Amino acid sequence: MSKVFAVALGVLTAIGGFVDIGDLVTNAQVGSRFGLSLAWATVVGVVGICVFAEMSGRVAAVSGRATFDLVRERLGPRVGMLNLLSSMLITLLTYTAEIGGVALALQLVASVHELLVVPVVAVLVWLVLWRAKFSIIENVFGVLGLALVVFAVAVWKLGPDYGALLHQAVGAHKPDDEHWRTFAYYAVALFGAAMTPYEVFFFSSGGVEEHWSPEDLGTMRANVLIGFPLGGALSLAIAASTWLVLGPLEISVDTLGQVGLPVAAALGKVGLAVAILGFVAATFGAACETGLSVAYSIAQYFGAQWGKYVRPKEAAFFHLVLALSTLLALAVLMTTVDPIVITEISVVFSAVALPLTYFPILVVANDPDYMGEYANGRLANALGVVFLGVIAVAATAAIPLLIWTRMGQ
Amino acid sequence: MTREMPNKLEGTIDGALELLDRQLLDVEGRMLGKVDDVELTQTDAGLTITALLTGQVALLHRLGGSLGSNLVTGYVQLRPSEKNRTRPWRLVIGDVERLDSALHLRVHREESLRRDVETFRLGALTGMNVLEPAGRRAGSVLDARFAPGAGGRLVLRALVVGEGHPGGLLGYDRRPNMGPWFVRRIVGWLHRNTSAVDVEHVQILWNNREVRLVSPLREIRREALRR
Repeated sequence: MSKVFAVALGVLTAIGGFVDIGDLVTNAQVGSRFGLSLAWATVVGVVGICVFAEMSGRVAAVSGRATFDLVRERLGPRVGMLNLLSSMLITLLTYTAEIGGVALALQLVASVHELLVVPVVAVLVWLVLWRAKFSIIENVFGVLGLALVVFAVAVWKLGPDYGALLHQAVGAHKPDDEHWRTFAYYAVALFGAAMTPYEVFFFSSGGVEEHWSPEDLGTMRANVLIGFPLGGALSLAIAASTWLVLGPLEISVDTLGQVGLPVAAALGKVGLAVAILGFVAATFGAACETGLSVAYSIAQYFGAQWGKYVRPKEAAFFHLVLALSTLLALAVLMTTVDPIVITEISVVFSAVALPLTYFPILVVANDPDYMGEYANGRLANALGVVFLGVIAVAATAAIPLLIWTRMGQ
Repeated sequence: MTREMPNKLEGTIDGALELLDRQLLDVEGRMLGKVDDVELTQTDAGLTITALLTGQVALLHRLGGSLGSNLVTGYVQLRPSEKNRTRPWRLVIGDVERLDSALHLRVHREESLRRDVETFRLGALTGMNVLEPAGRRAGSVLDARFAPGAGGRLVLRALVVGEGHPGGLLGYDRRPNMGPWFVRRIVGWLHRNTSAVDVEHVQILWNNREVRLVSPLREIRREALRR
């Protein structure tokens, strides 16, 4: 019974935890302009994250070592340091975007100026990271994030022509008024949003936090292979509902409020309230995950004690990094920069950084010394290599497309 | 439990692949650093691994090239007065239990690394509790008085013992007639029981962080606090 419960809870958490500010904003932006014609990019991204999250989770369960621990071992201190710097720059950017996202979501309710909400949110996030148990952080926000299912309900309530939607998705039929280069730019952005590197930092470190062993591989795989695709379905529901409501009106999405508009239009006040609850939970949960990922990775590079499974004073370096990165994120947000812009930048640069993270994971998952009989099989390796190619293309194209399209204008 | 792996220290290993950059875990499984470098010593048998090195200096050296040496120089310049700063922390190989996906030590992380010899510190002496021979608390060490001994080096002569009231380091209890009068009276009253106890009447128990009086405080001829 407890096994079933553990699997169910893990799946629910993975669904809610999959969607963060990057997925919310990017899917709504894409939905309003391209409908479901970019659904393939989300699907590819979801398959990719499943492949590599499964590998990193398996490595953590079998060897007890988390991602950045191994990145340094396999790349050496020099390249490892470069990798650490760039990965952490992007994860910090994502952390900033998530904290800003919580503030924007709360602002929708409180109508207090964002700059007054941001410090409160930053302190709350830091308190949760310092005091709360790992299982609370992982499960409570993940499960509350399921409130975003309201977007799927909204699609159903809007009663669209499902045949037309499916046709658009399967054929990748770009609307005629959009250019191919913006189409490609948003494909890369969706890919980056779905495969954000912090997800594997968090997932593998979480495995060590929860003392996974090879016996837990079944549960882990269920979480990844059921939870993430359902999270991807939630992303598609956001895109679809935005297309149905905002598409005909030619409204483009620049605020978090606009992301919630389709739900308000389809389900009214109560629906909107549920959506906002989902926004707060999803972004707050993701803020915790990204903040932890920064501290996990830096501590893992230096070998310092990390983790929520020991008391804070046992892992002082780890908690210092948590506090400092929260402070840094707060400082950036207090410059009045728009969190939505930070989000857009963070998903594109995530795409750039993808190979740095995923290549070492693929290598270690094949190491017979560490993995023994749990090393990658043919399927995992075939998928891993194919996705490494896809990742390389996305990473190379990201910045040129960013400049060429002037951030998707 | 993670997958059981053989102890690699009992077989042939490739140092860079299997030892360098591996996580260090102490006897309780707590993390204490990475294997940033490995110390080799020439013995009769040949070059032998005698210790593991960890810490910033060892790591920065391994970044290599001009970047590595520049960073080491910079790291030293941050605190030029610290002579041993270029010397990394050392972990003797005898403290290593096994090597698998991490390096497991047989000691606690608090006692695993050595750089300089352990010495006594003034900062530890001040603040220690002072106990009567019977065990009752007589006060705490507020200060330590040194005087030049043979060879001109300063030697501990007495401990200033009193209740730890505020104002002990303002100087009113040591210097005569320091003004203003009002402050002198208040601080003087707060420290009316403070006195200097000659070092021959005390026994410093460093491990217990306490000072024991050889005879009761009342019977000791106390030196004048003022000099």
